[in-house]
Amino acid sequence: MTFHSLIKKLLNKPDSSRNVAKKRLQFALVYDKLEVRDDMLEDLQQDLVEVITRYFEIDRDALSLDIQRMEGSSALILNTPILAAKHRKEGGARAHA
Amino acid sequence: MDGKIIVVTSGKGGVGKTTVTASVGAALAKQGKRVAVLDMDIGLRNLDVVMGLENRIVFNVVDVIQGRCKLRQAALKDRRIDNLYLIPASQSDEKSVIKPQNMTWLCNKLRREYDFALLDCPAGIEQGFKNAIEAADEAIVVCTPEVSSVRDADRVIGLLYARSITPRLIVNRIVPQLVEKGDMLSHADVVDVLSIDLLGLVEMDDAVVVSSNTGNPLVQQKESRAGMAFNRIAMRLDGHPDLPVEDPMAGRSFWQKVGKKLGRKNRTAKR
Repeated sequence: MTFHSLIKKLLNKPDSSRNVAKKRLQFALVYDKLEVRDDMLEDLQQDLVEVITRYFEIDRDALSLDIQRMEGSSALILNTPILAAKHRKEGGARAHA
Repeated sequence: MDGKIIVVTSGKGGVGKTTVTASVGAALAKQGKRVAVLDMDIGLRNLDVVMGLENRIVFNVVDVIQGRCKLRQAALKDRRIDNLYLIPASQSDEKSVIKPQNMTWLCNKLRREYDFALLDCPAGIEQGFKNAIEAADEAIVVCTPEVSSVRDADRVIGLLYARSITPRLIVNRIVPQLVEKGDMLSHADVVDVLSIDLLGLVEMDDAVVVSSNTGNPLVQQKESRAGMAFNRIAMRLDGHPDLPVEDPMAGRSFWQKVGKKLGRKNRTAKR
């Protein structure tokens, strides 16, 4: 930090375009890395359904899978109604896993 | 010989890949190495004009790959710098005429013939890029201190890591006055964002334009700061990996100017 920029800060001047550029870049790179191809999301949904149906009966058509982006973070949100729990038989579900 | 294949790439066009390839190649040859520079931008060749060798082209890299000539026949010898050879791109073909397996074959031939082969990669991340990085041992990523260029560099760095190549960065066209005013990303900002090893810093320099106008090698102009920066980059690639990167901002701030007056040495850049 130079003397010059310290004074700027004390005078509460708006951010230099250099700092704006850096912040925008950092956000852009994070966003770029979170971008997911549609077919990848579909594959993930199939895999998840396969796992969940070992334990629960679910309504497959009502299932939704989404990526929610918030400032600074992202979340994978899966929402599915459960129709019934499957009662495990001896060694049933575990044997699959 | 067991030469090294180095690809020069950037993602974004117009950031100075061709200048870097020509200058670092020339500098390595000046240090006594046998060097080939290859233009991999099939269909849009430019390395030949930048090096002032455009009038002497007979064969090109596609001719070599398709067996129409030997590697040595396609390699144009630079008359000003010993041990520097240019293998030009073809101007009439498309990038798809070269397949990745052709590159493996070509690079093996280059390793036997030269100490260093520098591949000038086309802009973009499509076939031409994939060909250029296919058989490379090392990679130089070039970017300028601009948002678009740094973002594309990040993408390319990711693709190189995916091929198990650890690239090093050259920040090109730094304008110290603008950085000082707070209107340009500093090299430290760029390195911070990309978190990658720094190979060199090159200032904006009119001599680069003059050099490509005339086709004369930049690295032979002692008064050119960019030319000298490329010479130091070549030293880092060959035998002096720890040569400090000079900070273009050094000696510019008020306190450093005071320090300089008092006999303190300029600090070198963060690596």
